[in-house]
Parts: sequence; C-alpha cells; structure tokens
Amino acid sequence: MPDYAPVDLSRADVVEFELNGRAVTAPAGTMLVDACAAHGVEVPIFCYEPRLGDPLGACRMCLVRVEGLLGLTTACSTPVAEEMIVDTVSDEVKDAQDGILELLLENHPLDCPVCDKGGECPLQDLTFRFGPGQSRMIEPKRHFPKPLELSSQIALDRERCISCYRCVRFSQDVSEDGDLTMSERGGRSEITTFTGEAYEGRFTGNVIDLCPVGALTSIPYRFVSRPWDVQNTPSVCASCSVGCNTELTVREGEIKRVQGREEPNWEVEEGWICDVGRWGYGADRAPQRLRQPILRDGDDIRDCSLEEAVAAAGLLLARQPRTSVLLGGDATVEEAFIARELAAGPLPNGQTGTAGVAGAALGPLRALPGAQLGDIDGADLIVVVGGDPANQHPVVELRLRKARRSGIRMLVAGPRAHEIESLGEGTRTPPGRLAAGLAAAVEAIAEAERPIVIWDELDLDAEPDAAAVLADALSQAPSGRQVELPAEVNGAGIRALGIAPYSSLLGREALGGVLAVRADPGAGPGAEAWDRALESAGPVIAIASHHNTLTERATVVVPCSSHYEHEGVLVTVGQRAQRLRPGAAGPQHSAPGWEILIALAHRLGVAPEYRSARSAFAAAAAGTPALAGLDYESLGELGAPIAAPPATDVNGAGAPRGFQGEGLPLVTGRAAFGGAVSHLAEGLASVASGEEAVLHPAEAARLGVGDAGDVSLSSPNGACTLRLRLDESAPQGVVFAIRGVPGGGVEGLLAPDSAPVKVTVGPA
Amino acid sequence: MTAEQIRAYLDPFRDQFAEERSLVLPALKFAQTEKGHLTGEDLAAVAAATNLTPAYVESIASFYDRLYLDPVGKRVVSVCVSISCMLNGSDELLEHLCSREGLSGEGGTGADREITIQEAQCLGACDRAPCLQVDAEETMGPVSLEDADGLIERLRAQPQPSPVLR
Amino acid sequence: MPQLNSVYRHREADRVLTSVDTYRLSGGYLALEKALEEMTPDELLYAFHRSGLRGRGGAGFPMGRKASFLPKDAQLAKYLVCNADESEPGTFKDREIMELNPHQLIEGMVLAGYAIGAERGYIYIRGEYEYQAQVLDAAIASARESGYLGNGIAGSSVGFDLTLYRGAGAYICGEETGLLESLEGKRGQPRLKPPFPAVKGLWASPTLLNNVETLAAIPPIVEHGPDWYASMGTEKSPGTKVFSVSGHVREPGNYEVVLADTTLRELIFDMAGGLRAGRRFKACWVGGSSVPVLAEQHLDTALDYESLEEAGTFLGSGGCIVMDDSGCIVRASLRLASFYRHESCGKCTPCREGTGWMENVLQRMVDGEGRVEDLELMEALFGRIGGKCLCALADGAVAPISSAIRLFRNDFVRVINDGSPPPQPMEPRLPMSGGRSNA
Repeated sequence: MPDYAPVDLSRADVVEFELNGRAVTAPAGTMLVDACAAHGVEVPIFCYEPRLGDPLGACRMCLVRVEGLLGLTTACSTPVAEEMIVDTVSDEVKDAQDGILELLLENHPLDCPVCDKGGECPLQDLTFRFGPGQSRMIEPKRHFPKPLELSSQIALDRERCISCYRCVRFSQDVSEDGDLTMSERGGRSEITTFTGEAYEGRFTGNVIDLCPVGALTSIPYRFVSRPWDVQNTPSVCASCSVGCNTELTVREGEIKRVQGREEPNWEVEEGWICDVGRWGYGADRAPQRLRQPILRDGDDIRDCSLEEAVAAAGLLLARQPRTSVLLGGDATVEEAFIARELAAGPLPNGQTGTAGVAGAALGPLRALPGAQLGDIDGADLIVVVGGDPANQHPVVELRLRKARRSGIRMLVAGPRAHEIESLGEGTRTPPGRLAAGLAAAVEAIAEAERPIVIWDELDLDAEPDAAAVLADALSQAPSGRQVELPAEVNGAGIRALGIAPYSSLLGREALGGVLAVRADPGAGPGAEAWDRALESAGPVIAIASHHNTLTERATVVVPCSSHYEHEGVLVTVGQRAQRLRPGAAGPQHSAPGWEILIALAHRLGVAPEYRSARSAFAAAAAGTPALAGLDYESLGELGAPIAAPPATDVNGAGAPRGFQGEGLPLVTGRAAFGGAVSHLAEGLASVASGEEAVLHPAEAARLGVGDAGDVSLSSPNGACTLRLRLDESAPQGVVFAIRGVPGGGVEGLLAPDSAPVKVTVGPA
Repeated sequence: MTAEQIRAYLDPFRDQFAEERSLVLPALKFAQTEKGHLTGEDLAAVAAATNLTPAYVESIASFYDRLYLDPVGKRVVSVCVSISCMLNGSDELLEHLCSREGLSGEGGTGADREITIQEAQCLGACDRAPCLQVDAEETMGPVSLEDADGLIERLRAQPQPSPVLR
Repeated sequence: MPQLNSVYRHREADRVLTSVDTYRLSGGYLALEKALEEMTPDELLYAFHRSGLRGRGGAGFPMGRKASFLPKDAQLAKYLVCNADESEPGTFKDREIMELNPHQLIEGMVLAGYAIGAERGYIYIRGEYEYQAQVLDAAIASARESGYLGNGIAGSSVGFDLTLYRGAGAYICGEETGLLESLEGKRGQPRLKPPFPAVKGLWASPTLLNNVETLAAIPPIVEHGPDWYASMGTEKSPGTKVFSVSGHVREPGNYEVVLADTTLRELIFDMAGGLRAGRRFKACWVGGSSVPVLAEQHLDTALDYESLEEAGTFLGSGGCIVMDDSGCIVRASLRLASFYRHESCGKCTPCREGTGWMENVLQRMVDGEGRVEDLELMEALFGRIGGKCLCALADGAVAPISSAIRLFRNDFVRVINDGSPPPQPMEPRLPMSGGRSNA
C-alpha cells in the first residue's frame, strides 16, 4: 500500500483536464485516482487495487467532486475525460473524507497499541491526514471472537476488518482458489473460509500485504517488531528461478519478515510472492543451517575457524593433480565467476561444472527474442509448453490466470496433468511425443500477432525435437517472443559465464579434488553415479549454507551466506539479472560465498583485483558479452535483462532422445511445497509435502500395485520407494514422481544428464 | 442431499442461464428442502454440483435470510416486525409467541426443536397486519394472539411437510 | 378513447384471471397479438416513450427512455428482467398483480422483450412470495402451452421465453444491480454505476430492468394506445399508480388512482377507510418507508411525482404507511432504522457502518438514554451517509429519519428529556380475528 497504478505521463494520447485549478494531462483511460497521484495529489483509497481487477467503489474513501456529475464521485472508477473539472480539496470533499474515516473508525477497535499494523497502517495514516481528530461515538462497538487462525501463518481479526474486499478479491480473482470469502451481510459481514478450514494454498500470504489494516497479519511476525525498529531492504527471492522481487524486514541482523515490494516490479511478479518465498526465510534458522566450519579426517571431525578452513582448503586443493569445481544452480554470478577463475587459474587442472542440463538443443530457442513476464499482458496468444508452472514457477501461474481473465488465448501442451492445463486449450502429450503434440500451437503462433511461448527448460531438454519445432515456429513469427522457465535459480547467469553442466565431468577421469559451491550432486540426478565418483575423488571442500549430502562427507566444510545475507546477482526468468541485497547477518562463523572464494584465491597464491561482490560482478561483466554494460548501478532495484545468447548451430541436436531403461516413461516434477525450503522453514511445516508417485488407477491395476501404499521404482540409474497416489486425471502409460523432496530418492532414478528414462514399477 | 441429486434437479433448466453460476441459488434452495436447513455437507454438494468452491457457496448461502446454515425447527414462523405490522401490534405478537415457546425476545428454536420463531422484515402483506408466515406458505394475517396460539398448536400436531419450503 | 378506470385488469374483473382463458376473455393477449402483427420493435419503443410511463418500483425513471438506452446492436444478446423482489416496507401492489393477474405481467414482458430484441426474460421474485411464485409458474406454463411464450409467439416469428428466479430473503436484491448480482449467482451487492444495466447488465449484456407494475402497464398502453395512458394524470406523471395503504387505516389494501387526480387525504380517508375512531392523523410515509415522512399539513398534496416532490418527499413505490397519534414517531423511526441496518448489504462504508450507528442512537433514545446532542449527531451522520453510498439504501434510511426529526423535533426532544418514549396504547386495534387470516 498504497497501490495506485503507474501512469506514464509521457504518452502522446493524453487528455487535458483541470485538477484543483491546475491544468494537467493524463493518458486517455487513466483512472482519476491514479492521474491525481501521478500529479502529486493524494486521493485516499482503501479498496482500490488495480491488480485486483475492475474498481469496486466499495470503501467510498476516494470521493471527489467532478463538476457536472451529481453528488461526489469515486475517483477510482472515473476515467479522466477531456475538460473534466476536478476538485479534491474542497470543504465538501474534505468533509466526505473525514466522514468515511469517522464511519470506518466507528466499529474499529482501539487496538493500535497491540496491533502489528501500527506504524505502517494506511488506516492510521489516512486518519491522520484526512480524518477526525476526535471520536463522538459512544455506542458499543461490534465484536467478533479474535484473533482467529486463518491458517498456521495468518491471523484474522474480524473486528479490525474494514470490508475492503481486497483479500476476497485476491482469492477469487487473482489466485482464483476461491477459498477466502465474505460471509453474512451488512455489519455482520465477516471474512471466512469454508466452515473454518485453514486458508492454505500457494499464495495465501499475499492477503497480508494487501490488507490495509491489521485484520490479516502474519503470525510469525506477531508482536515481533514495530516498523520504526526495522530496516526494509529490497531483494530478490531465490527459492525458484522466477526471481520475484521482495522486501526483507530486518531487525538486529535477522530477517523478521519477507513481503512483496510496495513498488511492484511490473516486469516480474507485479508485487505478488508465493508462500514459499514469503516464509522460506525460516529455513535459515533450521537445525540444518551450517554454522560451524569443520575439518573431517575419516571419523574424526574437528571444529575450526573460518580462516583455518579456508587455509586447509587451499592446501588440500593445491596438492591435487586435478580439481573439479562444482557449482550449485543457485550460486550467484559473482560466486560462479570467481570459482571459474579459480579453476582456470590457480587450481590444478581445474574444470568447472554446474547443476542442470546441457540444453544443447535449446540454443536456437534461447536466441530468439525474449519476453519478460510483464509482457504476457500484451500478448494475443500464449503457448505454455511443458513444465507445471503452478508448482514449479508459482507466480507465473498468477500471470497466466490474469491473461486468461483478460481473454488472451492460451494453448498448453506437455506431459503433465496440471492446473494451467485447464486454463487453456490443453494437449496432453505422452513423454517423447511432445513435438507431434505441438501442431495446434504451431498453427496458432503463425496466426497470432503477438505470441509468447513459455517453455520449460527440463521438458524441452528431454525432447529436443519439440524444442526445434517451437524455435522454428517462433522464428517465423515477426513479433513472437519466448520465456524460458529455468530449472535452476541462476542457470542463465552461470551459463552466460560459459560454464557447462557438471554431469559432463562424470565418467571421464576422476574428479580429483572437489571444490563445491552450494552444490549437492548427491541429491540431484544420477545420485548413485555421483556417489561412486565422490567415493574415488580426492578431498572435497564443501562451501554451503545448509547441510547436504556433500557436507556430510566433505573434508572441509565452510559455512557460507544464504541468499538473504549477501550481495549477488541472479539471472532469473526473462534472462533478467537482479540484485540480491543482504538482510540478515548470517551465522558468526560464516561468510559470503564470494568472500570465501576470494580468500581461497589468496591461499592459492593469487590476488584478484576485485575485493567485493560489486567489483567481482564488474569483472565478470567485463569478460562476458551477455553482461556487457551491466553493473550494480544499472541493475538498481528492479534488475535488467541480459543480452540474448547468440544463435547456435544445433548440429543435429534437435533429434529426439531415446529412453534409457524399460518399463513406464517417468515424468518428474516439483511440488510447490515439496522442496527443501518448505521442509526446513518452520512456517511452512503445515504445508510441506512429501514425495509421491502418481499412476492412473487402470495403470496401477495393470502393474499389480492397485492397492499398494508404497511402490518401488527402478531404472538403470537407481531405485527408490515412494508412496503411491492414484489419480484418474493422470494419463495412462506414464508414471509421475515428485522430485526435490529431501530424502525422497526420485533423483536417483535419473541419469546425471537427466536423459529420458523408463522405470519398472512394482510393489514395495 | 448429494451432488448428483442437485445436478439432476438443475439439469432441466441449466440452459436458461448464460452462466452456470446463476444456478447456485436455486441449488441451495433445493438442497435446503431436504431438512429445512443446510449442513456443511449440503454446501459441499452444492459446490460440487455447480463447479464452485464450498467457501463461495457458503458466502452465498449466508447472505440470505431464508437460507439457514444452522439447524432450525420443524416449522419456521416468521413474524413481520416492519413498520406497518409494528403499528398494528406485531411486537406484542412476537413477544407472545416467544414467551409461550420459552424463547428470548429475539426468537429462536425451542428445546424440542419443533418451532422456530423469528423476526421477518416486511413480508408484503401489510394489508393484513400484523402478519406472519409459516415457512414459505402464504402469509397470514391479521393474526390475533389467540390465532397465534391455535396456529402453533396445529403446527406442532402436523408432521414436517416434505419438501420443506422455507 | 374509452375511459377505463383501471390499467390493471384484475381490479375490475368479475372473475379470477389466473388462467389464459379467463385472461383472454377479459381482453388479454389482444395487445400482444396486435403488436406482433402490426408493430415493429421501434414502434413499440416509441409507444412506451410516448405514454410517459415511469418506473413504478421506486425510482420513477421514464420507462421508454430507459428502454431506448439499450444499444441496437443485433449481435449482442439482450435481456429483460422483471423486478418482482417487492420488499419495500408498506408495499404490496406487485404481490396482487402476480397473484391475481399474472398474465398481464407476462404479456407485458413479452411485449417489452419484443421491443428491445430480447429472447429471454427473467422474473426475479422475492423468496418470501413462494405462493405467488407458484401462481406465476403455472401461468408461465400455460402461457407457453397457449403459444404466448416460446418460439413463434402467437404465430409470429418472434421467440421469447421467461424464467422465474426465486430470491431467498434480501431487500437489497430489489436494487437493480443488486438483483442482477443475485441473479448471476453472486452476493446481491449493488454495482458501481456507470456502467448502467441498459449497457452492461445481466452477464455484462444490455438489460432492461423494470418493476412488475411497470411491465404490467404495457399491454393496456399497447391496446389503447400511449395517448390514452398519457391522457390520464399530468405530463410528468401520466397514467395510474397503485398505492398500497396500510398502518393505522381501517381498510388497508391496494388502491389504484389516476395520478394527480387524488390527494393524500382522499386516498387515506375516502378510499382506505380513514383512521380509527377517536384518532388523529400523525404521520405518513407515502412512497414506501424510504422517503421523507409527511405530517398533517401535507395531507392535501396531490398524488403525483411533482406534487409530492414539492411537498418534500417522493412518490417512490407508493407504499403508503399511515400512523395515527397512538404511534410514537421516535419508535417508528427506530423500527425503520433497524430495517435498514438489517438489510444493508455491507459493501460500502457509510451504509454498513452508518445504518448501525443511527439505529444505536435511536435505540438509546427509546431506552431512555438519549442526549440532546444526539439530534445534532444524527444531523451530522445524515450528511456523512446521504449521497455518499454505492446505492440508495442508506439514503432510504436517512430520508424518513432526518425528516422525522425535522418535522417532529419536539417529539424527539420530549423523549430525550423524559428519558423514555410514550407508552404503547393499550386499546384494541384493528379486528384481530376474522379478516383474511387463515391462522
């Protein structure tokens, strides 16, 4: 709050009108309330929120005088008109504003001293600026039982509610879960869910940001702090590759709260964040957080200081005949750059690799003109290929629902049954046959004027022929654009630095000494192959923020910063480079990843000229065409797209890939709350979901596991046991499994390069 | 009441509405005819039959005076308390009915769950003030205190009609 | 031109008109047959306009003008909606039309549907009128059987059908956009206007929405011509109006008068039997309860739109509630305040909060805890609520209460100073047994 729509006063098609005696202009179609804001005139609002759809006109706070119209008019629902005469400061208007606030305060409880919203409360602020200084209300106020737990994370106080309907409209018209509604009528109206069920979903926390009073508040943040005791730092969420812009609320070096930005990033998330992004910061406090550097010698584990750990790492690595640098998919550009420099420089025979897939066939697609998520609003056709945005790139789901509501045609093709499928014309394709299933999409792209293709990296990597079909179709569409849904948080950034997947490091020679930066190959595809490779590898230096399979066996464990605790750049959806900013201080014996790597460089005998994250990024940008011209200044608070990679020659890489193994094709996906963050963050405990395999009931019966609670799956790469769920909407001839769940084991079924795989399914 | 029963009821006139959502109110009224009020299961069944969320259905049901989300008596007696009836003694009528049923002045349902007495807003029978309505039957009036006593006794003696139209 | 006394057939019929046959015998459906054969939709629209027929639900907007607001675009689906949610206190005229003369409403709707190019009409009837709804159900079915609804009406190429939609108890669903929301399966909360229903109504389509009494006036207007209708009453108040009279009168009921021909005094004392023995006139809410109250000095006001406006009130729904000197204006105002507070949909701030506040203040007065400054407080609240809301409900609350304080200030002051309202009189009221009670 406040949530006026941005107004581009520089547009040519403007309307001239008079505002409080001044001649002003605004683009035709602008709502009066936004036009006033753009000209520095505040028309107070509560229920108005352009992201929620058409104006509601319910709160009546924005009443102004428009000459010629009967009575006062709501500025939120009145578009500017040529020669309109508007008065927002007359006595009549001021009395109306005072009156609305008086009426809102009539039943509003005197909770300010104990209300979390105090100090950042629009009702307080507007009362101060526009409302009565004294109360003449002596009647008993309306009461409701309070506070109620709307969910384990959201507290509901119905007495404070001013019936602005923002939360209800979010639930009905943005996330479209329809679980939060207004019940009863008149003064007894109350926000509720279905007979008191918890309001749980992917985006529930946004209602806290939307609520202009203390009716919906964060339970983890309850009584934690007052606004004047905290710093709010703009940053970016690193829980998935969408890269929603966030705001970190920090007090005394600790993250107390994460919110959407008050000034949304219209190109990315337009102010929304998912519940993982909102409450995931709790993962930094989990017992699995690495707080203590250690040196490991067989069973002997010794605590040490950071300096000792880095020194030991340098000594160990320098002695190796060869070294492998493994980067996690969320390593920042700075970390990846410095690590790459180490491998190319002082580390003996160093090779660098990162998590993720090769994507050889994705080059042509990636080279095509790219779009930002914000461009979806202006498309006339959206094609969603592969993936499961609702679960894997949550805020993209909101974008797609918004597009559907505004009538944009949507085609969906892919192997999964998911919610986005039901939003458009869906084509479900068996694994390996996506290319054939794109016929309708290809035709639609040819006919459309502004098509946007949203495509999932992993699914198109598995089906290169489909990638080729899409690239071909799009390249012929004059205004066609594409948006990649990357598997790794900073996949695009690390790839821009020329770093290949670390799966390519397996199998040739031994890994040698391993320097891992946020990497955990043992929890990724080809887990068993990695286990063997690490068995025969030299010493492992694991730099990580949390315990993982690598830190459990590493020779040196160096705790590093989480993404809430350092400067760094991530290149997220839309090939958009965005800056992380430090909020929390991090554990005492940890340090930012870039700092540890620079210290390691010194230990290895080199002294890089960069000594900060900022200068490390500058050095990276200097040598990387994709990052040309970017620096921390130009990235600012909203980020900027990097340059598209040059078109590559695919050399037959568009050929379909065959399946490894026998049995049913395996399609994997992530559950929104199935990842590590949900399992580590206390706030997400009630929604954290587990691993599961999904089969159509007929398929399950055919395999003899129709009644089984658990099933075992095995592939040439490994085996695991999963809980089985039967689902009639799942296609036959395929088995689905949720990956990314800590300890789940699905990754073990996959090859290190995530090649398409078939699995045998049997009773556990 | 099941979703199938509700769908079967809605099917004949589904195509009279450009959007399916309109069916929610007839569906709720129909579901209520089974017991005279709506349980959580009824709301869920209406939701399933109309492709809406249960929360949405509940928000609709709770908006209206004649949809009951809590159990009420076998018969519901609505006493009009609006201006014309008030001018003709409806307050005394209501008080009389409540006291003979052992209820507080605002009405309610007696322990034997037979009769619910409630206030109603103008029933459109002001020419017969003071008036009352039993469930959704034709509004009756003018109702004297003796008339009211006789009515309640007769209602007690009768079984609940089926379907229950409120 | 024949000088008919009534626009509504059942008021003069000597038989029950609920069947197609008896309705036809009374001359019914002739207008429809004639119009389908001889008139174009535009000619019909012109007839509505020329008659000067004004909406009879309460707003009084000229029906022909409203119908002409619908865009003529043939591609757009158009709808006709009849507001049969009659819930305005003191109003029961539509009940009678639907119960005793449903076919005149049906015929009027087919004519209106034909005029605006709608293929379907909806009658939104309040849930409490279940009995009348069943009469309408049967009438609609028999009209369809007789070829007056459905495809090829009366042998023409025109198709039009009706859906009867029942409400479930909410006064706000009588507000035109509240009705549309309810009909669309949403909470019956009014919408922002503009856009108006004529342009964006039912399912965002052009919609003509009119009251029962308005639509039922159409067949005689078509049958006898608009000039016949316009010849009654005045230029601004043509035609007849059915007034529902109730309260402290001896013969409460519906009374149809030619507008401007009758005064309030004549309506109450000549037609509705006057007051009870020994009683004096105190106050009357003439247009339903949502209008400023009138006192004895207004009794000679003519019953038409302009005269009543001049007298400081509105014709509204024509629900005329009479209170004699046995009643207490403070108690009556409190009862009205409770009504509006109960019926507030809760969407907009001034109504949701203001109706409750007004009720609370009046309740305090009636409980003996009123203060002199409460009258000033109420004045201030009137100004903060009136004209600020999304719909007219709260204005309908402010009107009777503010006018009561203005016209009967002494009564309020006395109640405040006495610390208690006048006791309710313990005298017999109207005959309580007998009458139409089937209790």
